[in-house]
Amino acid sequence: MPPSPCANCHAERAVIIRPKNRQKLCRTCFLAIFEAEVHETITSTRLFQRGERVAIGASGGKDSTVLASVLKTLNERHDYGLELTLLSIDEGIKGYRDDSLETVKRNAEQYAMPLVILGYGELYGWTMDQVVAQVGKKGNCTYCGVFRRQALDRGAERLGIRHVVTGHNADDVAETVMMNLLRGDLPRLARGTSIVTGSAASDIKRSKPLKYAYEKEIVLYAHHKQLDYFSTECIYSPEAFRGSARTLIKDLEKIRPSSILDIVRSGEDMAELVPAEVRGSGAAADEEAAETTGCGSQSGRTRGGEMAEMEKKLAEDEAATERETEVTVASVSGGKRKKNAVKSQVLGKCERCGYISSQRVCKACTLLEGLNKNRPRTAIEMEVGLEEEESSSTLRRQMEKVELGG
Amino acid sequence: MPGKEIPESCMNCREAQPAFILRGRHVCQACYVRFVNYKPFKRTENYRLRKNMPQDEPCRLLLPLSYGLSSTVLLHMLHEQIEVMRLKTHGPKGFELLVLTIDPSTISSIPAHDEAFETAEKLFPHCSFTTIPFYSIFDFDPSIGEVMSQYANASFQDQASLSNQERLEAFRASISTATSRADVDNILINRLIVAFAKKMECRGIMWGDSDSKLAAKTLANVAKGRGSSVTWQVCDGMSPYGLEYNFPLRDLFTVELHNYASFFPELADLIIPHQPTSENTLTKNLSIDELMVRYVTTQGEKYPGVMLNVTRTASKLQSSSTRSAEYQCNLCGALMSNKDAASTTPQATGLHSDSLTPRICYACARSRPELSC
Repeated sequence: MPPSPCANCHAERAVIIRPKNRQKLCRTCFLAIFEAEVHETITSTRLFQRGERVAIGASGGKDSTVLASVLKTLNERHDYGLELTLLSIDEGIKGYRDDSLETVKRNAEQYAMPLVILGYGELYGWTMDQVVAQVGKKGNCTYCGVFRRQALDRGAERLGIRHVVTGHNADDVAETVMMNLLRGDLPRLARGTSIVTGSAASDIKRSKPLKYAYEKEIVLYAHHKQLDYFSTECIYSPEAFRGSARTLIKDLEKIRPSSILDIVRSGEDMAELVPAEVRGSGAAADEEAAETTGCGSQSGRTRGGEMAEMEKKLAEDEAATERETEVTVASVSGGKRKKNAVKSQVLGKCERCGYISSQRVCKACTLLEGLNKNRPRTAIEMEVGLEEEESSSTLRRQMEKVELGG
Repeated sequence: MPGKEIPESCMNCREAQPAFILRGRHVCQACYVRFVNYKPFKRTENYRLRKNMPQDEPCRLLLPLSYGLSSTVLLHMLHEQIEVMRLKTHGPKGFELLVLTIDPSTISSIPAHDEAFETAEKLFPHCSFTTIPFYSIFDFDPSIGEVMSQYANASFQDQASLSNQERLEAFRASISTATSRADVDNILINRLIVAFAKKMECRGIMWGDSDSKLAAKTLANVAKGRGSSVTWQVCDGMSPYGLEYNFPLRDLFTVELHNYASFFPELADLIIPHQPTSENTLTKNLSIDELMVRYVTTQGEKYPGVMLNVTRTASKLQSSSTRSAEYQCNLCGALMSNKDAASTTPQATGLHSDSLTPRICYACARSRPELSC
């Protein structure tokens, strides 16, 4: 069979079948088209302003590496006039981040971009190893997750940067749409697909320029551009709803490659139909950041747990309404769609740190309060640093043994 | 903890022997039937009592009967409601029920179901029955030929000289993927039902979809880019066709419908048993609709409530009729905004913007014949 020519330039040999639409392209055309599409996303949504300082949430993984590379290319090619900085978060889990942070450091050199690495230790006064030493292996995921959600914003704030971009891709957004539908989470359905989150309530604007880029194409771009990224077996065990949505989306992609974008489209359309009273006041914390940073710990996370829990709750609610309607037969007006009362979220600012929160004190500060209460020697521990981390991970290993043994 | 013992009497009437577990409670058959019947009973109240509608005009409702489990059970339930209404001499006039069957053998290659048609007429004397072939869409919806040609671009040209059957076959054959074929078939069937209902001056349509069917439909619509249409495709209320859409079985699980049907042996002759798609079919050969049915069925075994909740969540969305809709899609009838017409980012559609005629919505454009993926 003769090699097929590139469907775009008709000159070069096609070496890539685009996952998005099965178009056959040569290397040069694929890279150019990928970049042009990101440019199109950026310009059509007026994502950046000239002279804006932008922090790229960099984990060393494929998504954020491609994002940094493409933004650098486009910033020069189209003269966006952006000042780009790489911002990485170190959870402070010994051995876990080392390799990926090395990658980010190399990226900073390759792209001639400034790099700032902020640790949980600096941001919260607690590294994850210290948290584990304090609370044990069970339940530490809560801390890591809550801290991570705020870390990029807090980090940007420190640098005086008002705009953080993350590597969320089309697959992530589609997954979020399906997940929120399964979870029945209307407020998140309303904001999950928008390219910019966190403009009204927070000073920090968050955006995802790769929102329309397929995960598979990001991998192809990284490969053909020979980008230096840290690929690791994903040991992160997704939350049950996300896991279920992820499997579903992979199947859908096999049937109809465009369905990822179609789901994003449906998500955008449905977001407009979410009643104003359940939207929550504008934007809220972007809680889907797990993907860019990844979570190493699986403790306390059993696949399916969340779905089973919700199932139980729904069954109880159902039973309750069942009993209720049987009493009020006469007053029930059937037929017409009834407005189900939905709890609305009111977003304010945390009294302590100023981060957006629906409570008086945000989740991170509440967790920190609990941690700090039980740490009388805070100052000393903070200074011990390395040694302390060492011993805490030893302690963690010991606890792991205990748990496994028990 | 020892397992709960089965109570001596039905937890509801406290008289008969419990025979079934209904939503965690041991009940007898009579209470089971009463419960299952009550759900759609509540949802049809407006039509029975003629709430907010003229009292003296006829109130006709159309029930599309596929001879599947759900639509047959719904017919049985609604017919019973009519029987009760007719017994009351001074009660409200209630509604008339018209039953439409699109001959299943003209949709897919299954044998005709003629005996069932006769049985149904005998079993449900208070309803009027009509069976039409799928290709009669050219008679009931005269503009459809033109719409098909316009929709398919160069890939298909409707030839009015052919027989209706040949015209429809030619159009369906021009669509290459399983997903698109199923999607377009659904649209055409829906159009035919709507056209018939309008011709018969019906007020609304009583769809038989049960909870799992609706959940699968919701997810499939989202996956096909029809997110904005879920507000009327799976919710009770006004559809863009000017007919009220009702899904009276929306709160019932398929297993409850199965049990219900088993209490009435006469229904067994009517119902065409559902042929689940073979487990061995490769995922990529399924249509999105089939994949979602499979997903909802497997997940629904463990999490029926979560699946039911998908449709409830969709029902909380505001119907798109409150939006400023500019046009309707020529093919599926969905309301379109300016955004759809402009079809903003060609990259997001993967199509060249010039190939999009403004009156075909985003999702329909996805199922076009020339697209092979």
